[in-house]
Amino acid sequence: MSKNGTWKTSAAGIALAVGMGMSPAMADNVVLWVNSPLASAPDAPIYEELQAFEAETGHAVEVQPVAHMEMERNLFVALSGGAGPDVMALDIAWVAGLADAGLLADLTEKSEPLAAQFQKGPFASGRFEQKQYALPLYTNNVALFVNDKMLAEAGIEKAPTNWDEFRQAAIAMTDEEKGTYGLTFGGGRMGAFQLYSYIWQNGGDIIDTEGNVRVGEAGAVGAVDFLGKLYTEDKAMPEAVLTAGSWDEVNAPFIQERAGMLVSGDWAISALKNGNPDLDWSVHPLPAGKEAATVIGGYDLAINANSSVPDASWQLVEWLTGPRGVELMRKYNRLSAAAGATAPEAIASLPEEMRPFMEQADAGRARPVVAQWSQIHNEIIANAWDSVLRGTPAQEAMAEADKQIKALVGQQ
Amino acid sequence: MTPRTLPGRTLRNTWSSVFETGWGAHAYPYLMVLPAVVVVIGVVVYPLASGIITAFYDVTLRTLNSGSAEFVGLRNFERVLADPAFVQASVNTVIWVVLNVVVQLALGLALALLLHRAMPGIGFFRSGILVPWVVPSVVAVLTWRWMYDPSVGIANELLVRLGLIDNYHPWLGDTSTALYAVTVESIWKGTPFVMLLLLAALQLVPRSILEAASMDGASGWRKLWYVILPQIRVSFAIAAVLTFILTVNNFNAIWLMTEGGPLNSSEILFTLAYKYGFKRFDLGMASAVATMLFVGLVIATTVYLKLIQAREGD
Repeated sequence: MSKNGTWKTSAAGIALAVGMGMSPAMADNVVLWVNSPLASAPDAPIYEELQAFEAETGHAVEVQPVAHMEMERNLFVALSGGAGPDVMALDIAWVAGLADAGLLADLTEKSEPLAAQFQKGPFASGRFEQKQYALPLYTNNVALFVNDKMLAEAGIEKAPTNWDEFRQAAIAMTDEEKGTYGLTFGGGRMGAFQLYSYIWQNGGDIIDTEGNVRVGEAGAVGAVDFLGKLYTEDKAMPEAVLTAGSWDEVNAPFIQERAGMLVSGDWAISALKNGNPDLDWSVHPLPAGKEAATVIGGYDLAINANSSVPDASWQLVEWLTGPRGVELMRKYNRLSAAAGATAPEAIASLPEEMRPFMEQADAGRARPVVAQWSQIHNEIIANAWDSVLRGTPAQEAMAEADKQIKALVGQQ
Repeated sequence: MTPRTLPGRTLRNTWSSVFETGWGAHAYPYLMVLPAVVVVIGVVVYPLASGIITAFYDVTLRTLNSGSAEFVGLRNFERVLADPAFVQASVNTVIWVVLNVVVQLALGLALALLLHRAMPGIGFFRSGILVPWVVPSVVAVLTWRWMYDPSVGIANELLVRLGLIDNYHPWLGDTSTALYAVTVESIWKGTPFVMLLLLAALQLVPRSILEAASMDGASGWRKLWYVILPQIRVSFAIAAVLTFILTVNNFNAIWLMTEGGPLNSSEILFTLAYKYGFKRFDLGMASAVATMLFVGLVIATTVYLKLIQAREGD
């Protein structure tokens, strides 16, 4: 390079350096992974929201939709390889495992001033070993979907509100000749997820807040026994319960009017509307046992521990989980995890089929936040439920599950 | 180096002339295969070696992320062997492989013999029989899942109408039938491939040999056993080895139909390794299973090929 060229290059470099130094905060690129229903089309509401964020902050956000069933594995693999997104939407049940592996950024200090703006259950779902790793994006719980026509034909006037009425309704809607059943339910891990509400309703627990494993105790055993016998003795569930491993398969008998009740969350609403627009159904709070309880689900937002743009990532998390997030989730027909969302006027503004979910939000219970939760849920409790469906006494199946969980979490 | 010459004038040396004599000429063929060797090392040898080494370390996501994976000797193998699911998966793998290989080879040979005839429309039948093989695995598996549905599945309806069963049965939900139900799908999907290999081999059998056998009064079975099978034995051996390997590694069918359930009744070693690796994120245990599976595959394939070679020698 000639002397003249060297001078020109140096001058340009100095100008660039001075320019960068004097410019306002640098714009960053943030990669965001969301569960695919949130970014299912180019006109999905999240894109509009992110445009507003980009205009406000100057950062750019790259959205990458990932299917729910693939998300956990993809996050673990990508993050542990030092890659993956800067910000991720993750099922609340995965927070502990990812945090335990050191893959999530600690948000404790930043999130403390924001705690009051969220409902307690969903906010606690982002906490692991006294540190906050995620903030709630949206929440959900499970309620009872009832086929009103089948219920009326069975001679029952109102949806069940307790376990006795629930069982009676299930039996009444079961008709072997017509091939109808009272209740559609999941097998394996799907059924396990549906079980938890009943375990808490019966005064039982899975792992309590002190970390004690309690699935072998009477409360948990009684709930599993109650639900198991609806299939093994009352024949009030279709055979599909043995193989239903996805929500589509759990919903199918209800959509086809072969099952009169369905225990599910707000994600079932669109499936029912699309699957059978003529279906006559309504949603009700889950029938209560000794106490009311419903399992909390939903998605949180967390930041990659190795993100190269932690500040911009935090800005994005704060934006999407803040006041604007409430309106964003309303566009998706999702329940906001904001504290104000449980106020009567806020509930009244929800679509009719969404109200029961928010009405029972105070009875919401989070699943245990332990690092081994995925294995406990997917293998141990799922297998216990499968065993009960195939005739193993609930006491025996849950005692075995209790032993396995204790061995896993080091209590033996 | 001697300058290259043509009659009447001398050629100028080029860069490639260094490969024409001496060490250059000696290195030339190795340089030509070097890119392929690098690729094979990168995509086969390294992952294989890495997988085997991982089996001797405590590799979980926590240790992977902190870089503190410790050498644990044979502990991963001990943990795997102590897991009741491993014993069941091993037994299931044997059943799964034997049923698949035997039935696919038998059906594939029968179909190949059937379609190795000159008759009107044979091209249509040959193409039609390949449909299961062409259908994407996921589509095939999900279709079979619905066919097996315990409430509305066509498989149950068909069996009831044929009088083979009285009531609908949850084929994939029953621990005693789940593995066999998946095996039926796998046989349906894999047989056309075997048929294709054997049909190609049959078409190379000289007609004169078959005609000579007929003139000697050989019956159909005798012709098959003493003339046709010896003629296609190499293709048959290749079909057997490929079916064996493809069956052991047939993850899609089992994972998408049952995920190894219910209660591990259709678990095979491949799905178990996947669960250890990508459900429990215990890569040490997953690698231990994969290593055992690899060793088993190498031994079985080697023994089979040696037996074939021994028969060749006879």
